[in-house]
Amino acid sequence: MNTATQLSAHISTDTMNHEKNLHTTTMRSAGQLIKRSLINTRRLPSAFIPTLAMPIFNMVSFSGTFFALTKLPGFPTDRSVNWFMPLGLAMGAAFSGVGLGFSLIRDLENGFYDRLRMSPTSRISLIVGPVLATWIRVTLVAIFVFIVGGFLGARPTAGVLSYVCSLVAALGISTIGAGWGLGLAFRFQDMRGAAIMQMSIFLTMFMSTAQVPLNVMTGWLHAVARVNPVTNIFRLSRSGWVNESSAGYMSWSNAYGGLIAIAVLSVLSLLFAVRSLKKIDK
Amino acid sequence: MTNSPIIAENLVRHFGDVQAVKGINLEVKAGEIFGFLGPNGAGKSTVVRMLTTLLRPTSGTAHVAGFDVVKDADKVRRSIGVALQDAAIDPLMTGAELLSLQAVLYGIPSAMMKKRADELLERVGLTAAASRRVSTYSGGMRRRLDLALSLIHQPTVLFLDEPTTGLDPMSRLTLWEEVRRLNKEGTTVMLTTQYLEEADQLADRIAIIDHGKIVREGKPVDLKASVGAPTLIIKTNIDQAEKAKTVLSTFGDLRPGAEGALGVGLHGGATQVTDVVRKLDEAGVHVQHLEITEPSLDDVFAEATGYRLEGADNAPSAGDNGDEEPAKKKSRRGRK
Repeated sequence: MNTATQLSAHISTDTMNHEKNLHTTTMRSAGQLIKRSLINTRRLPSAFIPTLAMPIFNMVSFSGTFFALTKLPGFPTDRSVNWFMPLGLAMGAAFSGVGLGFSLIRDLENGFYDRLRMSPTSRISLIVGPVLATWIRVTLVAIFVFIVGGFLGARPTAGVLSYVCSLVAALGISTIGAGWGLGLAFRFQDMRGAAIMQMSIFLTMFMSTAQVPLNVMTGWLHAVARVNPVTNIFRLSRSGWVNESSAGYMSWSNAYGGLIAIAVLSVLSLLFAVRSLKKIDK
Repeated sequence: MTNSPIIAENLVRHFGDVQAVKGINLEVKAGEIFGFLGPNGAGKSTVVRMLTTLLRPTSGTAHVAGFDVVKDADKVRRSIGVALQDAAIDPLMTGAELLSLQAVLYGIPSAMMKKRADELLERVGLTAAASRRVSTYSGGMRRRLDLALSLIHQPTVLFLDEPTTGLDPMSRLTLWEEVRRLNKEGTTVMLTTQYLEEADQLADRIAIIDHGKIVREGKPVDLKASVGAPTLIIKTNIDQAEKAKTVLSTFGDLRPGAEGALGVGLHGGATQVTDVVRKLDEAGVHVQHLEITEPSLDDVFAEATGYRLEGADNAPSAGDNGDEEPAKKKSRRGRK
């Protein structure tokens, strides 16, 4: 039997068993989209280098410039790099996430996304594949940041858990950023979406405890940061990098707020992405 | 309901206040090559995007491969192959990688993927270039890869949206041959084009679309016969144009000519040419250029719309020699 006949037989069977095969097809499609994303990262490194360089730049510049912050009474660590390394990592993760939106805009503008939309694969795989690829990129960024941070003097205070919590927070932030970026890209379908992605992520991050702890903030910024769910994510991310005597040190009570914030915001942003994708079919 | 693989009934699409498609009815029969002919902006691509589930109709219905394009979009997608106007392929990937991706998206088992991809690459003559990045492909190679991608799952209905736009004559001929071959194998093809020659060469039936409406539909030979008389085209000085029109109108109905030219359908046939020339001479009209053409699809188009198909005269003929245009990246925003 030649390939064409085999394929015809497969397609007719596959159509009958469509529901049964949906899960497998979704996972295979997501896997191929991860592969495509990683291939593109390798072949267009200029698009990935800023994501790698920015966390390092943030970590170095903030920890150097704001070294004196550690002298404030109640500051939870005496190492400024311990405080700013999670910020750098979070920024890198956020921009990796919204970077997915930029890539999508490119695909929408050059028509490649029409090919994906015209295929019978599930719409979920079109979201899940690229998001998982972002996780891989963020993990690479995190490893790089941890190594450079170590050279700059960052020291974990809770062993391996310090790295795990920062990585979980980074993956969470990247998922939220990816859902938000994809949703905006689907809605605007051009670079207007990119401007909103950057601005909104930047503002949300910096109106939290990104730079200083809550107890040294005053006024409106304190009020906003206190209710900003990103504050909880930073608490989780830094829980293994602050002093053991600090109130923010590694504990379940310091972790669950961040985990809930990640879960809720991830679900909301991914729902936004899925609904926006459905909208462009109309 | 008939078993025709493509049926559209009163298909309408608005973009805000703009009515891009104004109630299209069409039926493409199984095994046909159906040509959809019209100038840029006529609504061809919008119709194709609705039939291929990329765009929802504002109103009206369409069935492709027996399935409703809105209610059963997923089943439509499984049955059709589509090569869109811009050869939408990721320039960073290789031809082989794109075929693998496409195969997975269509649920083709891993065991068959490689063999199917190899067959298609050979079919479109890209085996040697399979491991090269698409960014290094010429426009013709991209179109052929696009065609291969659209065939990965052996669709019964194939949509080709302006498949040869921007291609050199040789690439155009190669693609035409492949379309004919696919059609002989039983694939129903709907082809949009702005090239008259392409529609004439390939299509069993054509529909002419203008400003979102089908203005003529039928077999090319019948449509040409419906125009009737051969067309005499002359060029003269602008200041003598009115005088020339008066003379020409005594021999038949005036027809729109290409830029600067005047045309007349000779009711008495080609033998009237000498009479026309004599009368023009007697009227003092200096004829700079004269040609007589048998009815063409351009005449059909002109008769139906009142103007000649934009770009028809500039479109390279398959017999011409010319360099292929490099592939261009175009924005999709604002396309109709």
